[in-house]
Amino acid sequence: MRNRSSRILILTAAALAYAFLLGPLLIVVGASFDGGSQPFFRFPPEEVSLRWYLSIPAKYWSALGLSFMVAAAAAALATLLGSLAALGIARSSVPGKALLETYFRFPLQVPFVVTGIVFLQFYHILADASGIDLVGTTWGLLVAHTFFCIPYSVGAVGSVITHDLEKAENAARIAGATEWRVLRRITIPALKPGLFSGFFFAFITSFGDVPVSVFLAGSGTTPLPVEIFQTLQFDYDPTVLSISTLVVLISTAFVIAMQRVAGLDIVLPGSRR
Amino acid sequence: MMRVRRAYDGALALALAVSVLLFIVPQFFFVRQSFFESLGMGMMGDELTLANYRTILTDSFYIAVFLRTIAISAVAALVALIIAYPTAYWLSRMNSPALRWLIILLLVSSFVSIVVKVLGLTMLLGSQGPFVAFLQFVTFGLWNGSLLHNELAVAIGLVQYSLPLLIMLLFGVVQTIPKSLEEAASVHGASDWRLVRRILLPLSLNGIVTAGLIAFNMNMGAFTSAVLLGGGNVLTVPVVIQQKIILEVDYPVASALSVLLTVAVMAINLVVVAVRRGGFAGARQRRKIA
Repeated sequence: MRNRSSRILILTAAALAYAFLLGPLLIVVGASFDGGSQPFFRFPPEEVSLRWYLSIPAKYWSALGLSFMVAAAAAALATLLGSLAALGIARSSVPGKALLETYFRFPLQVPFVVTGIVFLQFYHILADASGIDLVGTTWGLLVAHTFFCIPYSVGAVGSVITHDLEKAENAARIAGATEWRVLRRITIPALKPGLFSGFFFAFITSFGDVPVSVFLAGSGTTPLPVEIFQTLQFDYDPTVLSISTLVVLISTAFVIAMQRVAGLDIVLPGSRR
Repeated sequence: MMRVRRAYDGALALALAVSVLLFIVPQFFFVRQSFFESLGMGMMGDELTLANYRTILTDSFYIAVFLRTIAISAVAALVALIIAYPTAYWLSRMNSPALRWLIILLLVSSFVSIVVKVLGLTMLLGSQGPFVAFLQFVTFGLWNGSLLHNELAVAIGLVQYSLPLLIMLLFGVVQTIPKSLEEAASVHGASDWRLVRRILLPLSLNGIVTAGLIAFNMNMGAFTSAVLLGGGNVLTVPVVIQQKIILEVDYPVASALSVLLTVAVMAINLVVVAVRRGGFAGARQRRKIA
């Protein structure tokens, strides 16, 4: 864009977008250091204190741990299954590849609330039939989260399986590499960006999920976002600000660590200049 | 080679087996349940019936709920697109190390759970927040409404929910448009507006429609922001579904509502894709004639 006014217009939109996205987070972080007990942000704060950090209830800490565990396990399982699916779709002799791709994208077409109820009801039926009740268990959460995590890695891994990869594999085979070695040295390294970004988006979605978990959580197995959701809906408590601030900080640390280890390009191609 | 192909067949078979267990089996029982009459208290009749669907589709309350959900979702998706596109353009044409930090901020924002953002929005829009204070100031205290617990608040929450993902998706889209095309057009005297209309928009239309539909689909199923920012005043389909389950323990009607919500989402997606294809073919036709 060469025109000054159109540049200003674009910059304004971008500034607005960032202010809108970061504003609510900054307010939460700022208010968490205010020792007063009102549920709103004042500037300047009444008194700067770590009062609400020191009194974070134990249920938030265990919820945070649970969220982390479920997200990591669901994302890992989904990455495994998703890459098997993506490789299978690209390379098996089965016809109807487009149909299979659509099929594996299905969980993201179903509204999340619906997913929550579908699994709630399925677990009830399962309990009636077998006596194993998954409602309110970590396993129940894990299964449902894996369901909606699978499409991310099918898509991400599918996008890095290219014709060139097949050529490289064949070259290695001709040079005498065993199939195992081809897989380990050629295929998996080439799939790495897809594995990483699929895992990343699956993890994010699971870690922040409310609509699915809210139906499946039980006492002691409530993930942090649901715990916060219930606090906001029923009984406000200022410690929700401090635990939320910790979530913001952990997320920031996670993103920066990922940038250092794997590079941003893996999550968002073209972001490295 | 044969052996390798068979190994990939096996991989697909395994993934399919697990996914059938996760995708198809639970959905089957769920859809099936919507065809049984609810007897209240979580009990169900044992005859197949369309009664739940008839109830929903003939009740003006449910129709209004569906229309409200579609309207809020569409408006929020459109607003998010209008903010996201210039932002994505700005990022993808940026030639500075600041880009890395801007992307990190974007990822952090998409990482943080929507509940935390809703908490922030509640404080910003709440009665003690800066926006209410501003509105009261400019109206000399005559305005004493609330910015929370209405459709606007829910729509703002939905934009907050889908915006980071939309910017990331459109960032990928704009990147595929070579900068040299814009330069060439500028050199030949095209105005910025013409550049947007004749180069950027046509070349990114596919991506814009896809991203817009993704945002719309997210909004249609959005639950957290609808419950918390709507505060019980804004009844969207996800909110009503939750009430049916939690308060009324009416699984059959909740199932029927869910089936209708999913069908509505898929149907709207299909219509948009079909209209766009048709529109494209039509435009091409017209150009040929001209």
